[in-house]
Amino acid sequence: MSFSILRSAVLVVVASFAATAHAEKNVLAAQIQPLAQTSLILDITATNNSMVAVGERGHVLVNQGQWQQVATPVSAQLTKVFFLNDKLGWAVGHDATIIHTQDGGMTWSIQMQSFDIEKPFLDVHFFNPQHGIAVGAYGLFYRTYDGGQLWQPEFHQELLFEEDVSYLAELKLEDIALYESEKAALLPHFNRVIALSGQRLLLVGELGLVSYSTDLGNTFIKTDFGYEGSMFSAIEHQNQVYVMGLRGHVFKSDLSLSRWTKIDLPVESSINNAFITPDNELMFVGNAGVVLQLKNDNIEIVTRRQGENIVAVTANPKGQIWFGGTKGLFQLP
Amino acid sequence: MLDKLVNGFETHLFRNRIWVILSFILMTVFLGYQASQLKMDAAFSKNIPLNHQYMQTYTKHQKNFGGANSIIVVVEDTSGNIFNANFFDVLKNVHDQLFFIPGVERSQVKSLFSPSTRFTEVVEDGFAGGPVIPADFTTDDYGLGVVRDNIEKAGIVGRLIATNYSSAMVSAQLMEFDPQTGEPLDTIAFADQLEEQIRGQFENGNIKIHIIGFAKMAGDVAEGAKGVVFFFLIAIAITAVMVYLFSKSLTLTVLPLVCSLMAVIWQLGLLTVVGYGLDPMSILIPFLVFAIGVSHGVQMINGVRSRVLAGQLTKSAAASAFRSLLIPGGVALLSDTVGFLTLLAIDIGIIRELAISASLGVAVIILTNLILLPLVISYTDLSKLEPNEQTKQKIEKLWLKLSMFATPKYAVWVLICTTLLYLFGYQQSANMKIGDLQGGAPALHQDSRYNLDTFYITNNYSITTDVMSVIVEATPEACTYHSVLETIDEFEWQVANTPGVESTASLASVAKRVNAGFNEGNPKWQVLPRTTASLVQAVGRVPTTSGLLNGNCSVMPVYLFLKDHKAETIEVVIDKVKQVAQQLNTPDIQFKLASGPVGVMAATNEAVSEAQLPMMIYVYGAVFVLCLISFRSLKATVAVIIPLYVVSTLAQALMTWLNIGLAVSTLPVIALGVGIGVDYGIYILSTMSGKLTNGMAVQQAYYEALVERGSAVIFTGLTLAIGVSTWFFSALKFQMDMGILLTFMFLVNMLGAIIILPALSAIFWPKRK
Repeated sequence: MSFSILRSAVLVVVASFAATAHAEKNVLAAQIQPLAQTSLILDITATNNSMVAVGERGHVLVNQGQWQQVATPVSAQLTKVFFLNDKLGWAVGHDATIIHTQDGGMTWSIQMQSFDIEKPFLDVHFFNPQHGIAVGAYGLFYRTYDGGQLWQPEFHQELLFEEDVSYLAELKLEDIALYESEKAALLPHFNRVIALSGQRLLLVGELGLVSYSTDLGNTFIKTDFGYEGSMFSAIEHQNQVYVMGLRGHVFKSDLSLSRWTKIDLPVESSINNAFITPDNELMFVGNAGVVLQLKNDNIEIVTRRQGENIVAVTANPKGQIWFGGTKGLFQLP
Repeated sequence: MLDKLVNGFETHLFRNRIWVILSFILMTVFLGYQASQLKMDAAFSKNIPLNHQYMQTYTKHQKNFGGANSIIVVVEDTSGNIFNANFFDVLKNVHDQLFFIPGVERSQVKSLFSPSTRFTEVVEDGFAGGPVIPADFTTDDYGLGVVRDNIEKAGIVGRLIATNYSSAMVSAQLMEFDPQTGEPLDTIAFADQLEEQIRGQFENGNIKIHIIGFAKMAGDVAEGAKGVVFFFLIAIAITAVMVYLFSKSLTLTVLPLVCSLMAVIWQLGLLTVVGYGLDPMSILIPFLVFAIGVSHGVQMINGVRSRVLAGQLTKSAAASAFRSLLIPGGVALLSDTVGFLTLLAIDIGIIRELAISASLGVAVIILTNLILLPLVISYTDLSKLEPNEQTKQKIEKLWLKLSMFATPKYAVWVLICTTLLYLFGYQQSANMKIGDLQGGAPALHQDSRYNLDTFYITNNYSITTDVMSVIVEATPEACTYHSVLETIDEFEWQVANTPGVESTASLASVAKRVNAGFNEGNPKWQVLPRTTASLVQAVGRVPTTSGLLNGNCSVMPVYLFLKDHKAETIEVVIDKVKQVAQQLNTPDIQFKLASGPVGVMAATNEAVSEAQLPMMIYVYGAVFVLCLISFRSLKATVAVIIPLYVVSTLAQALMTWLNIGLAVSTLPVIALGVGIGVDYGIYILSTMSGKLTNGMAVQQAYYEALVERGSAVIFTGLTLAIGVSTWFFSALKFQMDMGILLTFMFLVNMLGAIIILPALSAIFWPKRK
């Protein structure tokens, strides 16, 4: 009971901040600028007839033949975009921003934004047009049951380390304010959440966090994972689950998620993302401009682009692969 | 009354002529000694408008952020790969050598070998890092391999290492003053040291040295300017031949040349006396002085010669020529001097120097060629001169034909053509560009070593020399406030999206990348953190040596790297900066233009284009007043000035047509052209106006003026044009531009004086038949 009161109190605060912030700073809308296409791009996703890319300064670009920046009501950096179908999509980012489109990415409206939370969302996932979750830094976790009209926070205590659980329990009795601030910082970053086969969700993040959920993300179960560095992304491919992250660490397991083996990479750069190419091959992208491809259980370097970090990769309906990163959108020659 | 004065002066001079000549010789010895002490001098600050608003920002922050006076040495391995022992040895030596050349700001020498060149990388428990060249560096395969990895991690490819790994850079800032002597830094000596101690010592078959920077450019310009001596000799030779053809007398050839050379010596000597050096830019002044001297000398010998042929004794012919030429010659030279002095109104050191040295030189001619020359001639015996009747008749026929321009019938056509030409020129001159229109150093030719070096560096490095910095002035510790950095970031983004801006850098954009570094190198954290602790952490990693902030981060420049330094590019960027600055400026955070080489160019362009109109008004104003005084007739004054104005306009059209921009070097040309061009009109009209006052018909008056002065006027035009046209072959592009423009102005002004001026007179004094 007390928990739900607290939750709604936070919500009210969040909502009022979002409202005032939005009202006073209308200039915060993203500017349409020629360099949007060549500046930091953090995610690209494809629908049946277009691609949508998001990046710094609230940039959203839509490709229906060529890239075109579209207006958005935010200037916060957007880190991830998710489309449930050709029309309905959500993009999330810094300042706990969530924006929503109903027309395939051409127009966007704010669902949530708070400068006070001081945390970014790093991923968003919808199960159906009503029910979705958004995750982010320091265990940031919000859920909606109405398509994003109302986003409510959740605290995933099950992902805390054991010593932190008892520490928090003590603190709650002694100093409620300190309890709140510690609670907001103890969970690891939730970097990526993806749907796995068998109605499961996979959540990966900081400090070797690799966990799954069988109940639409209400509770997560940590897997037994040996490495303690951050995992930035995950992908399921041919009955194998791959997780990837800091300094060239990529692990794979079968669908049991219990037998992780490290894959040797020819590079030491962080791997930011993975993608299944139209030729059904697994591709990795990462810092120091690396693009890698899995061939016959062997990882080969496709290219290393100097002075550039690659974060995003997708293919358009024609099967052409696009990349995004610190120098914007590009294709390989 | 004026005549009485002149007569008295003449009597006095000719009575004491031996003493006068003797004192001239003494003066020449003294000033000749002074001239031999003259030094080449090309200080950076002379070339910029120091009082311009941008330059005040520039000067204010020069100490912290270095100015525009930097030097870049690139060491290239001709094999195309720098990773070998020899190359690293040479690079280290170049670094050390540059470090020890006096005048280099030692804290700002940057290369692979400077301790501030470090790499950082993200590891599981935070950052790891160190100098790119480790303390235990050895030039074996292992050591080179380590350095190669560190170079990648440090992200200096394109900055200190060529993008294709074929060369490496050593850069330095120069000080305004030599720290050992406290004297202003001798730029040209510094450039010589670079050439000897860096290029001379290290360039060989395997290693190529590219050097750019203002000091090197000034050195190369000075080197190119030395070629001018050769042009000067050619100009003297051609002039001598022409004077001989004109005078048919060896004596009358040598005397004006000697007097004119004396004027040159005086001018150069006076420069030392007033404490100036010879700047490459004003090195053309001796040419002008010589040519102007010769042309006035020719008027003088022409006057003496015609009087001797008419039967006078040489001495009385000289005295009488002196009497008749002192006033028109004096007025003409005075208006030259005043014309040049108007250039003082332009707030650029080098143009002021040009103004002073040119007006000194021209004023000196009054003494040497209007006073000394007739005195010397009076000692010679010209009685053997024989009139050449055949030539005389031919020329008189030409004069007769020319005098037709002074009849209303032809005058109308001349004036219609002039009007059309003027309208055409006016329309073209509106397209005249401001500033430098070419890449590289505009003073030098595109294929000069310096410009080839510039192109090599801009092609192989991601930097460009076309940098402008906008200085952000804020409160102490401002960089610890999210709002301040966010404003800088906003500014940078808007300006980055301006056409002509290739890339940008600021504390805000670097802090974003550092923040990503603090978050495991994850690009999703490439933002300005809102929490003060994280922001301080990010900013704290940026050292002041980066040039992105000062000690208490109250000042933070935003660097704009432009695609070139054409005036249009600069103007678009400046306009955008002003607009965004106005929108973002608050009392606590001010975006101030401008520093960096392009900031200096922007200020210079603005100063030059702002100076253009006032300069024209002053020059024409001075000419107008002087003509009015000497003719005491508004009509005569207007008749002299209109052709001049048409020709100035046409010269501007020529600049448009030849792609010569209005720059520090070409701005004075118009003033020089007008100042000297007015001579022709004054000589012709001064003869005519007396006759017109006495009621003579315009055509007759003009014919008689031609007979008396026509050949000298045409001759003068040709002499001046030949003198300056030798500059077409100069190693310096700006001298070539000036040569083209001055040749045009001298020739066409001469044509204006013998074609347009009589036509105007025919209209102004219509009733005389």
